[in-house]
Amino acid sequence: METPNPYSLLAELTYRCPLQCPYCSNPLELNRFRTELDTVVWHRVLDEAARLGVVQVHFSGGEPLLRRDLTDLVRTARQLDLYSHLSTSGLGADQARLASLRDAGLDALQISLQDSRPHENDWLAGVPSFEKKRRAIESAKRLELPVTLNIVLHRHNLDRIDELIDLACRWNVDKLELAHAQYGGWAFRNRAALLPTEQQVGRAAEVVADARDRLIDNLEIVHVLPDYFQQFPKACLHGWGRVFLTVAPDGAVLPCQTAREIPGLVFPNVKDTSLEEIWFHAPVFQRFRGTDWLPEPCRSCDRREIDFGGCRCQAFLLTGDVAATDPVCHLAPQHGVVEEALNEAANQSTDLRFRVFAS
Amino acid sequence: MKSESPLYYPVFAPGARYRWDEVRQQHQIVFPEGVLVLNESAAAVVRLCDGRSTEDVIVALREQIGDADPSRDVREFLDRLAKKGLLRDGDS
Ligand code: SF4
Ligand code: SF4
Repeated sequence: METPNPYSLLAELTYRCPLQCPYCSNPLELNRFRTELDTVVWHRVLDEAARLGVVQVHFSGGEPLLRRDLTDLVRTARQLDLYSHLSTSGLGADQARLASLRDAGLDALQISLQDSRPHENDWLAGVPSFEKKRRAIESAKRLELPVTLNIVLHRHNLDRIDELIDLACRWNVDKLELAHAQYGGWAFRNRAALLPTEQQVGRAAEVVADARDRLIDNLEIVHVLPDYFQQFPKACLHGWGRVFLTVAPDGAVLPCQTAREIPGLVFPNVKDTSLEEIWFHAPVFQRFRGTDWLPEPCRSCDRREIDFGGCRCQAFLLTGDVAATDPVCHLAPQHGVVEEALNEAANQSTDLRFRVFAS
Repeated sequence: MKSESPLYYPVFAPGARYRWDEVRQQHQIVFPEGVLVLNESAAAVVRLCDGRSTEDVIVALREQIGDADPSRDVREFLDRLAKKGLLRDGDS
């Protein structure tokens, strides 16, 4: 199979963040990756990405607004005719900053929210932030920037899914993304304290289905189901090295933002090698590209072109073997570990550990 | 908020725009998290959505393609894009 050009670049400008979400997808060992690429290198990365066929760039983090060169980078993205998104916690997104980003060519905004109620939101974020998020959305709407509200779902906020939907309507956002936590990184560490029950998941799905019908002309709702409760795994990244690539704050190029959790993989750096060379030739991008590498039962399964055997990070975290069938799949030989995790979570109450840069 | 159809003065909704993809040699509409690939005639229509009226879009298109009357197809197409939230009514 010929290697397709990537569509989407996740530009993780920094791992620094004022929030401490216990399900953050940044690495657990934040301290190991404190160095950040400078502005000049990021400009080159954007240029190389555009020439490689990238259409959409997501400025993300951490909190990308902590980078003072963000407006500059957005301007460059627009000059290269890239479509730019900003994913922010909302902290630092005041009207003036958003206006300068929009004028530089920012196309769309994604703001995270932790819960529908200020107190619960601020507890989970680790800092007072609810009110700032609300004001950031208000400013963005005033500037006619399209806003997606992103909410990570788990045991502690799932029962308020109706309140979350109401809030999205009241705040007049364009799109609501309700995505269950993906159990890697910090979320894996906190899994026993975050996993919802099957009843919670079922009820939430009904609430969302009903809201979708009711709000069809007003609000687009994306609902990402928790894969631990599904029969089949997610088509992680729509296939490894096929659509997405991530450049981490220190310049490492990753097929997936959480791939750093997998020991033994070597990630090339944009400081040494061009994005094109990395995308087409780096062993880490070749390793799980396409379907030739698949183990059984995937190899002879007719869903292999749909889900590509699931998520590599999850396969490693749950089985220790990065090339195993994602155990979330009910056909996977090691599916038992998912059922164990669900039982364990149901019978335990565990404290959350918030993400921090250890000093 | 999606626009009511029909559109009288079709323009791109905030966050949506036309682009030419040099690498893939494709016309596209890009929008949050998505890309819609357009064929030549669809691209010709959306590139005329610059604030002029639907009538004027059709007139300009007819000039481009000769004598066939494209008005029904154009209206249906604009309608579909409005339903997807990619176009809205720009009023006067
Ligand atoms: S998930 Fe939370 S802590 Fe992690 S980068 Fe996003 S806002 Fe910051
Ligand atoms: S066996 Fe493999 S290819 Fe088939 S559904 Fe499960 S993970 Fe997907």
